[in-house]
Parts: sequence; C-alpha cells; structure tokens
Amino acid sequence: MLYKKKTHTSLKEELEWEIMAKRLKVANPARCIGCYSCMMACARTWYDTISLKNSRINIQTRGGIETPYAAIVCHACIDPPCMRACPLGALTKRKGGGVNLNKEICDGCGNCIEACIVGAIHLDAEKKAVICKHCGVCTKFCPHDVLEMIEVEDSGEIKVTDTSPVEDTSPVSSTASHKELYGRKEPEEEK
Amino acid sequence: MTTEQYAIPGLKNVLYIDLTSRSYYIKDRRDLYEKYLGGVGVATNLMLEEYIEGTGPLDPEMPIILSTGPLSGVYPTCTKTVALFRSPHNGELGESYAGGRLAMSMRYSGYETIVIKGASQYPVYVAIHDDKVIFRDASSIWHLSSAIDVGKVLRDVEPGAGRRSIIRIGPAGEKGITYASVNVDTYRHFGRLGLGTVFGAKKLKALLIVGNQEIKSPDHNAYRKTYSKLYDTIVKTGLTEKYHNLGTSENILVLNELKGLPTRNLQGTSFEGAETISGELFAEKYLIRRVSCAGCPIGCVHVAMLRRPFSKAHEYETLNISYDYELIYALGSNLGVADPEAVLELIDACEKAGVDIISMGGVLAWATEMQQRGKISTVETMGLQFSWGDKAAYLRAIDLVVQGPNDFYAALGKGVGYASKKYGGEEFAVQLGGLEIPGYHTGLGNMLGLTVGFRHSHLDNAGYAADQAAFNRPLSDEKIVEAIIEEEDRRSVLNCMVACLFARNVYTYPNIIEALKSLGIEKTEEELKELGRDIFRKKYELKKKFGFKFEELTMPKRFFETTSTTGKLEEDRVKRAIELYRKKRGV
Ligand code: SF4
Ligand code: SF4
Ligand code: SF4
Ligand code: SF4
Repeated sequence: MLYKKKTHTSLKEELEWEIMAKRLKVANPARCIGCYSCMMACARTWYDTISLKNSRINIQTRGGIETPYAAIVCHACIDPPCMRACPLGALTKRKGGGVNLNKEICDGCGNCIEACIVGAIHLDAEKKAVICKHCGVCTKFCPHDVLEMIEVEDSGEIKVTDTSPVEDTSPVSSTASHKELYGRKEPEEEK
Repeated sequence: MTTEQYAIPGLKNVLYIDLTSRSYYIKDRRDLYEKYLGGVGVATNLMLEEYIEGTGPLDPEMPIILSTGPLSGVYPTCTKTVALFRSPHNGELGESYAGGRLAMSMRYSGYETIVIKGASQYPVYVAIHDDKVIFRDASSIWHLSSAIDVGKVLRDVEPGAGRRSIIRIGPAGEKGITYASVNVDTYRHFGRLGLGTVFGAKKLKALLIVGNQEIKSPDHNAYRKTYSKLYDTIVKTGLTEKYHNLGTSENILVLNELKGLPTRNLQGTSFEGAETISGELFAEKYLIRRVSCAGCPIGCVHVAMLRRPFSKAHEYETLNISYDYELIYALGSNLGVADPEAVLELIDACEKAGVDIISMGGVLAWATEMQQRGKISTVETMGLQFSWGDKAAYLRAIDLVVQGPNDFYAALGKGVGYASKKYGGEEFAVQLGGLEIPGYHTGLGNMLGLTVGFRHSHLDNAGYAADQAAFNRPLSDEKIVEAIIEEEDRRSVLNCMVACLFARNVYTYPNIIEALKSLGIEKTEEELKELGRDIFRKKYELKKKFGFKFEELTMPKRFFETTSTTGKLEEDRVKRAIELYRKKRGV
C-alpha cells in the first residue's frame, strides 16, 4: 500500500491529518461481513431518520449472501462526470476528489445518476441527490477493516506517503488483529 | 437534513395474509405493541387470539406468526425474527428464531408482524415489496431438490436486488417431514420444531420481503448516542468475541473436556475425534469468510469451503457451507463422525433437504443404535448398514428419510419419539418433550431446562449454564431451578426486542430501557420483568391448549445411564426438581 492509514500518534499529526485532503476508500472489500453498520451510520448521521436507504454507501450482494458483498460508494473522481452532467450547477469539485452537493439547487433531475457509472448516486424521498461527502463516519463503524480514510492530494490524486521500508507484517497469530478489535488482548509474544 | 414526513413511526401494523383466498389486509395493532412491545410478546398474544380450539398443526386455520420488535432494524444485533406456530413434530408450542435479513426487511417494510393463515391449493410464494403483497404460482419451484436453489430462482424473478430477505423450504417441508426447517437467506434458519412442515402444508414455498422505508425516532440525537454506546459495547468490550472468533464451535473442545458433548446417541459424553471436528480445526482448515445478519457487527456466521473431487481427472466442485456447534455435534460426535469433511458434507445434504439438523442427527443416531442392537435389520433400512462414522450410509439415509419410501423411513421422518413407539428402543430415543436434544449433557440444569422450557430448547433458559456454575462451585438444586426461572423471564424480554441471544449481556435491562427510551417507549425494569412473567403465563396457557401435560413427559433411561458434566443423574432428582419448578412457577 502506498498511502498511510490514519494514525493517532501525536496531537500534531492529528491536527495535520485534520486539514489534509482525504477521501473514503473501500480498502478491503473482500473482508466485508455484510453487517450494514456503515450504512446505518451514514444514514443516521446525515438524516434525522433511521434507514438504510439514505446511506451514501451501499452494501449489496448480487446473488445472495453466498456471493461476496460489494461496497458501492463514490470513487472520488478527480474530474467528476456527475458534476459535468448536472445542468443546474448543484455539484462542485470537492477538495480531495468527488463533489460537494448544494441541496438547495438540486431539483432531482437524475442526470448525475446516469453519469456516475459506479452507481454511487440515488435520490432521497425529497428528490435530492444522495452523494458521499467523504466525511469518514462510516469508517468508524466498520468492524472488519473494509473502509478507510486515506490522504490524497487536493486534486484527488493518490498521494504516495508511505516510503518506509517494508517490514515483516505477518501476524503473531491468525486472529490477533481481531482479538484486539473485539477486546481480548493476545498475550505478548516474541516474533 | 431530514426526510421526516416520509418516515413511518414504526410498531403499528400487523399484516394478515390468507393463502386460501390469496388476499391480505393490514390492521393497526398499536394496542398490542404498546402492551407487549413486539416479538414473542406480540406473537404469543396473537396466537391466543387466532388459535381455534382443536386445530391441528397442519390444518389451514392454524396460523404462522412472524414478529419483529421495537429495536429490530434500529439497534445493532437486534436481528432476529420470532416464528410462532403449532409444532407438527411434538404437537406443542412451535417457537423458533432466525436471523439473516428478515427482521430488517420486515421492519423497513412497515409490517413488524405477519400472520399467515389458510392454505393454497397449489404451490405459491408471496412477495412483499413495501406496500405491495403479491401471490405467485410456485409450482415450477416445488420439487426443487435444494432449498438453496429456491433463493437463486427468486432472486432473478423478483425486483429489489441487494438486500432482500428470502425465506423458503426444501423437499423435506414439501414431503411433510415433521422437523423440516425454513431456510432464511441461505445461512440462517427457523430450524427446530418443523416450521418448514407448516409452510409445506400451506403450500407456501417461499416468502420474499423487501422493505425500504425510513423510521422516525422522536429523539434522533438520543438514538445516535445510544447506538454508538451499544455498538462499542458489542465490538470493543470482548462480550461477543467468542462468537466472532471461532464461533459457537469453540464449544466442541470445551464440552468434550467437560464430558458434556453427546456422543454416539448419547452413549458417551466425550468423543475421541473431538480434535478433528473442533472449531479450531474448522477455522484453520476450512473457514473462508464470516458473514453477519443485517445489522449485526459480530459476524458470527462461519462459512467453510469444501473442495470435493468428483472424478479421478482432477475435477472438483466447491461447496460453501456454514457450520455451528450444534451442527457439528449432531452430525459429528453424535454419529461418531470424526472426519471434518464428512461433517461438512452431511451438513450440506441437510441444508439442501431443508431439515432441522439437530433432529436429523438424533434420528440417524437412534437408527444406528437400533440396528447395532439387532432391533431392526437391513430390511427396514433398505439395505443400509449403519455404523458410527460411516458418512456414505448417512448421506444416503438423509435422502431416504426425506423421500420416505417405506414405513421405517417414514417413521424416521417423524422423529425418534414417534419411531421408537413403533419400533421399540424408547430407552435410548434421546428426546425430551418429543424433541431431539441439543448438544449438551451437562447435568440437572440442562435436563430440567430442556424438559420445562417452552419449546424444549437450551435457548429457553440456558440450563447448561446453571450446570456450568454448579460445576465450579456447589449449587443446590433449588438454586438451579431459580437460575432457570430467572433466565427464562430475562430471555422472554430479549425475545420481545428481538435481540440476538449472543448479545444478551449487551442488552441488560438498563440498556434495553435506554434503547427503548430513545424511541419514545418508556418502560421500567419492573415493567419489563413483569412482561417476562406475563409471557411465561400466556405461553403456558398456549402449551396447555396444545395439549402439553407434565404428567405425560417421558425421560428415556439413556439420560441416567450416561455420566454428565456434573456426574450421573438420578431420575428421582430430576423429578423432584421439576416438581419444585412447577411449584415456584404455579403451573
Ligand atoms: S458520484 Fe460517481 S461520478 Fe460523481 S465523483 Fe463520485 S464516483 Fe465520480
Ligand atoms: S439530481 Fe440534482 S445534483 Fe444530480 S444532476 Fe440533477 S440537479 Fe444536479
Ligand atoms: S464517508 Fe460519510 S458520506 Fe460517505 S458513505 Fe461514509 S459516512 Fe456516508
Ligand atoms: S461496516 Fe464494514 S463490514 Fe459492515 S457492511 Fe459496511 S463495509 Fe461491510
């Protein structure tokens, strides 16, 4: 991986992270367990109701639960086609890729939906476009390392930030990372 | 941001479906939700309303009630749907819980509860798309050999791809095997007591639900806060770690060590092959992914991959099979099967047939012992020679039980209680209340719990947990009885929510109260506890109506011959404990 994951080592780094251009990335789609925690989080953060349908990220299966889950969400285009397609100028370029939506202007024509071949846009009950803001809330509710916020150039280009030597990252035990996430710490062991 | 005016308040409707006339109507039943919250509370009261004295389990008038609760689709791990029916397996109260996407789909469709009555003349399936309920001819998918494939067909013909719930039966339900299950979204089930059989009798092949509405909480900020708190408790405190990591199959080695793992038709309680069918081994060799029920961050569904050759020319098929503790016990230790791949193949055969795996395992174990004792011969078994661990014979037997080509297999399709009345061997027909037992022989708590439990399930009152406590420090029988009573009432409340019991220690009374409050429902701990007791009384009222009598319970000798975790049990001691339970409960 050529970019750094969010870390909290110092206040300075934390502040720097806050002002950096970032975007949401579906980093490890194959790890998705289909819990919909991300969708619930997105929808309840940005809407005053409880639903899945107002989520800007969409977790889907194409052939039932036997098949892998797909996370459909804005790819943070550097030159967004949805923006070009909007006849009213409701979409403007976002720092870090993707778009900002001006809800006041949007009239629900759906041109952006057509332009986004990713399928990342739909309309809410008030006929306003639902598009990812790259706010990162969903990443905090993903229990299985699927979603990440990554640092990018203001333009949205991927920033190569991680040039440190490649270290041995094999886990101490096959379930070590999960044990930590789910609360039970592994005993310290020499590698 | 808000789309409030489009949101539903929630907890209002009951959808009534009549399969005979292929019609439906929706009733405002706020009265029920206000009093009983939802889930098993609402379903129990609806069953009392709907049940017409004398109606048999498979009669058209006998309803199926599916119900979700106030927290379904709203809070993490409140992912279950309760089904209430009359069991064709033991004639008693049929109660079963399933996860998957069903609860969330029902909740967002605005039908928190569904009552299904009548029977169709030809196979149908019902599709619910928010406010539209559509009946469609299912003759072309009746007779499909696999319950899994039913989902594949319906996914293509019905709109709403991505997050639908599809519940369906397999051949066992069509054929009237009394312990047929309903498959929920491939990896979950209404497993026990034969809901699939009731579906089959109603000629209901499947039910598909798509819900896409918004729910309005009166205090959204409180909701956000409580959600985060519950989510953190589930994911970060270790309370549910066990279910995520190895899953319930972690218990194979634990119960084996404790001498509580029923083995070879409960002739023993530890299995020399436990290592090779342990949760540890399955995780290391076969686990390929975990999945979750919709709305649950635990990810307890463990899916194994089995690569199976089907010719000598390096040709392989790949099967994805979900496994659990109970399945490994039923088709592993209890059948003397130590080969993990054989266990997976047997699970797969039962999944396709659509049968309750615990009952099927119990039936095959009993048949094996019958044949070994010379009480039946290859005449009855149609040439099969059962022996412990013989996968090929068991695979064939599963097909034969489902097809029922002779009297013997037809009897096996009605469970060990029925079959042993006909062929003998009642002493080792391992059932309580007419239901083949789950994978515990831990002692008094377990046996009492299974006997007095509403549905004779270890999930009614976790009697095995009382035994575990008794194993660690001396505990009087009275204390065991009290533990069971307390757990029963607590679980009744959880089953109104309808929370997954794996998160039972997350949904403590204070947390339930807080979660309800954020939805505008005010309840005190005492009110919740009274609700639990009320459900107990009403369920026993139902059980009585369905003909349950303590006096008619039989306890096969096997339970008293085989040493349990907490030592050998005496029949008198169990009987005294049952009396004590009845006295304390007033039943
Ligand atoms: S919504 Fe679609 S088109 Fe627009 S920026 Fe995102 S991915 Fe690109
Ligand atoms: S739906 Fe709204 S944002 Fe999309 S193109 Fe139309 S006006 Fe623009
Ligand atoms: S980054 Fe924010 S807006 Fe985008 S899907 Fe996640 S929570 Fe929703
Ligand atoms: S929170 Fe993570 S694991 Fe759960 S559905 Fe979303 S991406 Fe998948």
